[in-house]
Amino acid sequence: MIKGDRHGLSLSIAEDVDISEVISQLHNKLSSARNFFSGASVRLIADEREINPQERAEIQKVVQEYGMNLTDDVPEEIEQPVVETEIQPDNTLLIKRTVRSGQKVHYDGNVIIMGDVNPGAEIACSGDILVLGSLRGVAHAGIKGDTQAIVFAFRLEPTQLRIAHFISRAPDGKVPHPLQPEIAEVKDGIIQIKKYNF
Amino acid sequence: MAKAIVVTSGKGGVGKTTTTANLGTGLAQLGHKVCLVDADIGLRNLDVVLGLENRIVFDLVDVVEGNCRVRQALIKDKRFNNLFLLPAAQTREKDAVAPEQMRELIKQLKEEFDFILVDCPAGIEQGFRNAISGADDALIVTTPEVSAVRDADRIIGLLEAAEIYEPKLVVNRIRPDMVRKGDMMSIQDMIDILAIPLIGVVPDDEVIIISTNKGEPVVLEKKSKAGQAYRNIVRRLEGAEVPFLELEDKGVVGRLMSLLGMGNKQ
Repeated sequence: MIKGDRHGLSLSIAEDVDISEVISQLHNKLSSARNFFSGASVRLIADEREINPQERAEIQKVVQEYGMNLTDDVPEEIEQPVVETEIQPDNTLLIKRTVRSGQKVHYDGNVIIMGDVNPGAEIACSGDILVLGSLRGVAHAGIKGDTQAIVFAFRLEPTQLRIAHFISRAPDGKVPHPLQPEIAEVKDGIIQIKKYNF
Repeated sequence: MAKAIVVTSGKGGVGKTTTTANLGTGLAQLGHKVCLVDADIGLRNLDVVLGLENRIVFDLVDVVEGNCRVRQALIKDKRFNNLFLLPAAQTREKDAVAPEQMRELIKQLKEEFDFILVDCPAGIEQGFRNAISGADDALIVTTPEVSAVRDADRIIGLLEAAEIYEPKLVVNRIRPDMVRKGDMMSIQDMIDILAIPLIGVVPDDEVIIISTNKGEPVVLEKKSKAGQAYRNIVRRLEGAEVPFLELEDKGVVGRLMSLLGMGNKQ
């Protein structure tokens, strides 16, 4: 029957239903919300039974009556965000001071902070984030969707960490202070933090 | 060379006004010509803390609007002939003054005085922008609370943007006993975050509440530890190197221990 999903409306017809049955059901459904569907397009999904051109024309007629148009179901590719994984090494912003509460660094590339990132401060960039100091604010690496991006800090104790569309935050309650440099990266679908070995 | 110092914090209620009143009084006690400027237009308090409320005729807004001359608005302190207050207007709002007007006013005052202390309102809006314009230096007052330190950090960033670099930190209302038990942020915790030089630590002291209500700055109380802390800050403002107060009351045994180098230094 008629359904809505993230691609819009779709109409699927079960195997053993007569076309006249479909038409009357469609009338019922659409007349109950006449204007709601107006202007939308409906995809006809016919993977369970064959629909001949005549049947298709009948369905199209009904659909058009309600101000919609009919399209055929084309298996579409799932949209992948276009990711530029190769960030040029020279595309890096170097900040030689502490980033304080209320300050935000937004950059298309990598960001290196020689100083601290304090609570209430925010670093967001399309590449990696390296903090040569304490990271206590919010860091978002790979804002354009690069899941390979990393966040590094001498002392990694952020309010919140984001890499691409992954988000993690510090556990509630008291957390022991890290005593060595750490690195955060996405592994197995979550952000993981490990000691930085050099 | 005259110096204009703004006393600010971001958060309200951490002791900006008390600090301004005490440091101003302390500087005056040492013979400097001092002017205190209350920039908290609409919520003035500095006059009350100094016990000068009933002497106000003209105020800061009157001066910048040209209703009177600066000299007419200045109120001489009860105790010191070289201490003056420029009160805020109570019936107006922050937008009654613009940063350029404040800058001009501070410039005028610098011709007359050695130290100008500006009591900044809480917040980061127009009142703050007014108070910091014309200042050469800043004192950041904070209390050992996460929220106050966070606001102080924000303020330091805004001061940097306004080209007031390296403000000095005043930690107010610290309770050494609580710090020792780990129930309160320590001085080191705050310096770690704010990364600015410390100019003074004022212990939590009931005497301050009493003296503030009476309009008599605690800096004049010889026996009070808070008073001593303020006197030390005053000396540091003059440029002297003064060791930080031993805040913990150790008792006879503890004092003997530390004399022998056995106590734990904090």
